[in-house]
Amino acid sequence: MSTQLPASRPFKVSFPHMGNYSIPVRLLAEQLECEIVLPPKMTRRTLEVGARHSPEFVCIPFKYNLGNYIEALEKGANLLIQAGGGCRFGYYGEVQEAILRDLGYDFGMVRLLGGWKLRDHIGDFKRVNPRLTMLRALKAYKLALRQTQALDRIEDYVRRNAGFEVQDGAFEEVHEAFLGELDTARDMRTMAEIESRYLGELEAIPTERPDDLLRIGIVGELYVLMEPFSNLFVEKELAKRGVEVHRFVTVSNMVEHSGRKHTAHLDELIAKSGDYVRYHLGADGTESVSMTYQLMQQGFDGVLHLKPFGCMPEVNAMASLQRLSREHTFPILFISYDAQTSETGLKTRLDAFCDMLRMRKQRPGDAAMADGAETLAPGAERSTA
Amino acid sequence: MHATVGLPRSLLFHKYHVLWETFFGALDVETVTSPQSNRAILARGIELAVDETCVPVKLFLGHVDALRDKADYILVPRIVTLAKDETACVKFLGAYDVARNSVPGIRLLEYNVDVKNGIRQRPELCRVGETFEPNRRKVRRAYDHAASEHLRYTARLDEQQEEVLARPGMKVLVVGHAYNLYDEMLGKPIVDFLGKNGVEVVSSEFHDTAKARTLAKLVSKDIPWTYNKELLGALESYRERVDGIIFLVTFPCGPDSLMTELCMRRVKGTPSIMLVLDELQSEAGLRTRLESFIDLIEAGKRRAAVDGAR
Ligand code: SF4
Repeated sequence: MSTQLPASRPFKVSFPHMGNYSIPVRLLAEQLECEIVLPPKMTRRTLEVGARHSPEFVCIPFKYNLGNYIEALEKGANLLIQAGGGCRFGYYGEVQEAILRDLGYDFGMVRLLGGWKLRDHIGDFKRVNPRLTMLRALKAYKLALRQTQALDRIEDYVRRNAGFEVQDGAFEEVHEAFLGELDTARDMRTMAEIESRYLGELEAIPTERPDDLLRIGIVGELYVLMEPFSNLFVEKELAKRGVEVHRFVTVSNMVEHSGRKHTAHLDELIAKSGDYVRYHLGADGTESVSMTYQLMQQGFDGVLHLKPFGCMPEVNAMASLQRLSREHTFPILFISYDAQTSETGLKTRLDAFCDMLRMRKQRPGDAAMADGAETLAPGAERSTA
Repeated sequence: MHATVGLPRSLLFHKYHVLWETFFGALDVETVTSPQSNRAILARGIELAVDETCVPVKLFLGHVDALRDKADYILVPRIVTLAKDETACVKFLGAYDVARNSVPGIRLLEYNVDVKNGIRQRPELCRVGETFEPNRRKVRRAYDHAASEHLRYTARLDEQQEEVLARPGMKVLVVGHAYNLYDEMLGKPIVDFLGKNGVEVVSSEFHDTAKARTLAKLVSKDIPWTYNKELLGALESYRERVDGIIFLVTFPCGPDSLMTELCMRRVKGTPSIMLVLDELQSEAGLRTRLESFIDLIEAGKRRAAVDGAR
């Protein structure tokens, strides 16, 4: 825990983007009774400025976060928040603060280390807003969590179904409208109402689901999984190829398994990993392997494994995943993201992967996998998509 | 019939070999150590490892493989936490599973240290010992003996370090993990080159771990990695007594790149460079950088001498 406040009020708070979670985070930040300055929407520039000032081979979430900070500071923010998660996230804040200070920015920073539990952080928040009470913070936390759940449920539905819309863009339109409304909801009842109404709207969208549709699970490191800009919108790309997309790493799930339940959760994952993992591999690595194994057993057609280039826990996981893929001839596409990863390269690889999966479906057990096996062989996957 | 235990000469071997060798020795178990790192070991490691694995882990896999038919078991520790509020680099969490899944045809002996969750080294290593010696008291005695030998050894290293620091002449602190510093292919060429050029090398080995943790706080409040705290402890404790600092980082090590970034920004006044070692590193390139670094230090010293004379 570590807080340094800006020299003078008013404080203008900002925090890095991750998917649409700026919605619940904004709700939380409101309790600080400061002006909130959202970083501008992510663009290539965000990554460029972030990467320019980052250590060269730090993992890419660091670079995106730093880019968000710089762009937020340019917009007038003066109090930055950095939160936990991942294996090095806990350490991002201190280095980012040093870099930004050397760049000449004048700002304060709240570095939230440790868990997701409110009591770990209330002290920091109280320094920003002395009027904040535990009760009020708790209430806000519960609201933000509810909002997060609504967000995750709706987006889960979109992922599974958007690939089959009859009219292009139908899901996206409803999704956007949902985000707009959810952002203004400030009580439980409204949130529940918005969630069920939009779920109804999504269900009403006409779809055509082919018999041979592909079901693909996405596993990997949390940031690239949850920040679509950073994964080059891989979920949308899959949807375009008529894929039912499943993803299990969401903030709701992470909160659910955090704190005291964390160890039990890991034990369960290990127990269901088909002996491909015996000890926790760090951050999301164990989950990546265990979920892949479980999805394979559930008859999924394939798995996409996403990670930032050099991400250690996921590199650990890949040793298990490559063996699993080999021993069970189960298709896994490994994608690494760094600042140079190109969209074209990604699209080509997705095309090839989906084609291979379809071929396997039509002619189960024959040479189809041999083609695919080439993309799967250890060492064949390149660092950049 | 004597069982043999293979010790891969990589990663934590460079920190704990005295502990391991003494422990197994006391149990009448023969240990076999893989050879010094060489091209073949590295090449095999690269072949076995996932592309983006850091160089030390690639070497580790090469060493494990080199022991495949040479020993009955291969020892691979899994280290998570050695104290509350800190953690080992993620590669030590995964080392056992990574070796198991990457190298075919081996039998591993693992011990798990996760102090934060109440799993300590003594009972874990004793459990390993019981594979060979049913008498538990004997195993515990072997461990205690090994642990004190380990402490004696590291204390001696710290003393030697002080001796180096007391000598006259140019001294350079090389900040890097033992598994990089002492590896035949990674740190050794650098240390040798410095030595040949008359530079005394002070290593960042620092075994007073309690002191290291306190000192580390002066540079970094939040750094969570146990072994990096030791590096920072060495940095704080030695930096004013050396003429230059070399940060040795292996590609693409995240913890080290973050730590070095912070150090380079915070440690002012002593000339410092960062050397990134990868599997393709060219010795010629390294030499050039080291030469110009030595020149830089000498120039600084001359200037200081002139200023002092005025
Ligand atoms: S989990 Fe991966 S991306 Fe996240 S901090 Fe660790 S190395 Fe970086």
